[in-house]
Amino acid sequence: MKKLFILLIAASPALSFAQGFQVNLQGQKQQSMGGTGTGLAIDEASVFFNPGAVSHLEKNGVSVGVSPTIGNSTFQLDNSTSQARTTSPVSTPFTLYGVYGKAESNWKFGLGVYTPFGSTIQWEDGWSGKYQLTKLKLLSVFIQPTVSYKINDKIGIGAGFVYGIGDIDLRRDLPTPFPNGDPGKAKLTGSASGIGFNAGIYLKPTEKLSIGLAYRSQVNMKVNNGKAEFTVPSSLSSGFPETKFTSSLPLPQTISLGVGFKPTEKLLLSAEVNFIGWSAYKSLDFDYEKNTAQLQDTHSERNYKDAFAYRIGAQYAATEKLSVRAGFALQMTPVQEGYVTPEVPDANRQTYTVGLGYKFTEKFTVDASFTLEDFERRSNFNKEAQFGGTYKTIIAIPGLSLSYNF
Amino acid sequence: MKNILYKSFYAVACASIVFACKPKFEDQPAASAGSANFATYVAVGNSITAGYADGALYREGQESSYAKLLADQLKLAGGGEFKIPYVSPTTQGVGAPFVGPSGLVFPGPFVLAYVTDCKGVTSLGPKATAGDPTAFASVASQGLFNSIAVPGAKAIHVPFQGYGDDTHPIGTYNPFFSRFASDKAGASMLSDAMLKNPTFFSLFIGNNDVLLYALAGGPFSNNSITPTANFNASIDIILDSLTKHGAKGVIANIPDITSIPHFTTVPYYGLVVPDAPTAAYINAQLKANYPTVDSVNRTVYVGPNRFFVEDASVTPGGIRKMNPGELVLLSVPQDSIKCYGLGSFVPFKGQHFLNASEVADIKTHTADYNTKLQSAAIARDLAFVDANAFLKSAISGLTFNGVKVSSTFVSGGAFSLDGVHLTPLGNALLANEFIKSINAKFGATIPQVDPTKYRGVKFPN
Repeated sequence: MKKLFILLIAASPALSFAQGFQVNLQGQKQQSMGGTGTGLAIDEASVFFNPGAVSHLEKNGVSVGVSPTIGNSTFQLDNSTSQARTTSPVSTPFTLYGVYGKAESNWKFGLGVYTPFGSTIQWEDGWSGKYQLTKLKLLSVFIQPTVSYKINDKIGIGAGFVYGIGDIDLRRDLPTPFPNGDPGKAKLTGSASGIGFNAGIYLKPTEKLSIGLAYRSQVNMKVNNGKAEFTVPSSLSSGFPETKFTSSLPLPQTISLGVGFKPTEKLLLSAEVNFIGWSAYKSLDFDYEKNTAQLQDTHSERNYKDAFAYRIGAQYAATEKLSVRAGFALQMTPVQEGYVTPEVPDANRQTYTVGLGYKFTEKFTVDASFTLEDFERRSNFNKEAQFGGTYKTIIAIPGLSLSYNF
Repeated sequence: MKNILYKSFYAVACASIVFACKPKFEDQPAASAGSANFATYVAVGNSITAGYADGALYREGQESSYAKLLADQLKLAGGGEFKIPYVSPTTQGVGAPFVGPSGLVFPGPFVLAYVTDCKGVTSLGPKATAGDPTAFASVASQGLFNSIAVPGAKAIHVPFQGYGDDTHPIGTYNPFFSRFASDKAGASMLSDAMLKNPTFFSLFIGNNDVLLYALAGGPFSNNSITPTANFNASIDIILDSLTKHGAKGVIANIPDITSIPHFTTVPYYGLVVPDAPTAAYINAQLKANYPTVDSVNRTVYVGPNRFFVEDASVTPGGIRKMNPGELVLLSVPQDSIKCYGLGSFVPFKGQHFLNASEVADIKTHTADYNTKLQSAAIARDLAFVDANAFLKSAISGLTFNGVKVSSTFVSGGAFSLDGVHLTPLGNALLANEFIKSINAKFGATIPQVDPTKYRGVKFPN
């Protein structure tokens, strides 16, 4: 199979919700090249990265991948000896892509099912921020049917419709001590859904150069039938009734511009910049169906700002069958000073990636990647909670995908 | 090539997962004492310093007193053992004994429980329990203590020799001091503090010099407000002694007690008349009891009304409605208000409330005491805790680490069920005020307490 490389960008807008643990894991090849993909047409993951590039894929194919994400955060409370760590379980974002088009046709059709965000952050029992958050589990799956049209050998365009479904499970302690002194607990669970689209254009002015421009719309994930449950001393149970709640989260729009460059037949270089419209995330609100003196609707300012991510990557075809890849990315935090929360202990991050691909047969390929996201240590005094401290987070993500091309 | 790549990939992955994935903070600055020396810390104070809570001295309260929490933090900066005259962990504890209708009563800690009132309505409220007089058993044989904190102690009591002399009649000595005084007849709180040779001390005293008067509803007991001159002299005597050998220390001013839950929970307009028949009944009773009073001044309406109080200066009739700024005590029997006309056709007596001049007297003295405490801190180069400002912020609502605390009785979280003393959570916040002041004054870096580790009022299951 001929290698066609597409720059894939990873800064999926979608990732938003748990931005802190948002990782861009929509394709192993792209992932191991620093998350670049918008300006490349290397595999089926273009469904996600740039639908315009799908029409320029050489072959039809299906691929399936998984990226076990191991995130660890440590927190140091200001002016204190109190430290806390996360005990988050491994989360497993996955991808499933299929691309099909008749050889003689300029049309290609694609389907992507992927996890734009899917993580759990869980803090150790009794930690200093327990009244803000003890656990946040987010799982989202986006289903994206896509069409792509090859105008000519130099231009491809495409668009996809995004239907997102998600689950949220948020827990925190309540300052309502039981007779034994243990705190009360709140548990908010619910399903969310939202729709959006993506679109892209792919240009290949020369054999050596490719350029991609892609747009992903904002997806408003709405929780309409959330369930709020409280474990409190029975004398307080009337103040904390089980109730429904509604909430919503914007997964921001993203504009990505990427290039791919092939100085030699074996070497592919890629670069990309993403603009992520995080400023849409103004506040996190919970509207409870039943309100009591103790249970009031909440409105928490988030005030994210738009953010950029910068990515570079390279792939080298070491042999006919083996490719090695590496990359680097700089992701700027959208979270402003005063708004860092335990649910998203975000900071600017440096991302280092490596990976390889091995083509066992003409049709069957395995790709693996390893990503290390190193967050800058960040001190922050959260205004709402009056909670000051320093966070440090590292995320390690090994990943593997299997592809079958025909 | 493939093999090497696989191996290095594997190595990177493992290294990252095993080590790098557990971020650490290795450069934590060590706690330092600055120019102070915490080797022997002695806390001098009253019930607040003792960890008295929910109307009683009991083990959990002692263990979470601000002084204990402060001492624990001082240990990180060279502090030594902080010995507390603990009551047994198995006793429910005991409050200040008082003489009831059938003799001496030893109250226990209030608990939050369902209480059925005289109207058969069950609601959640503080419920009195019986105390354990054996909690007064002497622990003096354990040696000298670092916590010289005696519930009920006024500033003027601290240098008072024989304050724990239980050979005297009840009411003329303090049993909370008797239980740990090194010499019941010969020791004062101050002399016992000095036996410890403190290198560092805290002094939080003066609350009771006005509080005991206020709790009695004014001049209805032998607890008059301490004259400012006597208060000032006592503070000087105490500080002269404590600083004699060069010890450094911290002193706190006292909160304006007229804003604590004990005096703010029951509003002056808390006579709630549910319906017209009740209003008619009360009005008829008032008319019968006080026929000489102009009907305009003795009529209630459906809804909240001002309570009636006895006031001999009002003629004719000797009753009037309460005025804004006057305070009803939390200790007023609620059943009497609900079912027996207390505060309406049986007007409050003087001990049930603080009238305007009593409130003014309390505020004036509090301000005078605080002037003295602050100037003493400046003059003697001591750290100073503005406990008054701290309590004010807790009263208006204070958020920390995601928790809101306020002075709201029970649910506010900072005040215990007696409406006067702090919960463990309130103590933790207060301990941090001490730490901040000590750090600022002496250039120390004592880590603060993590208040989320401490509870507010416990709720029954």
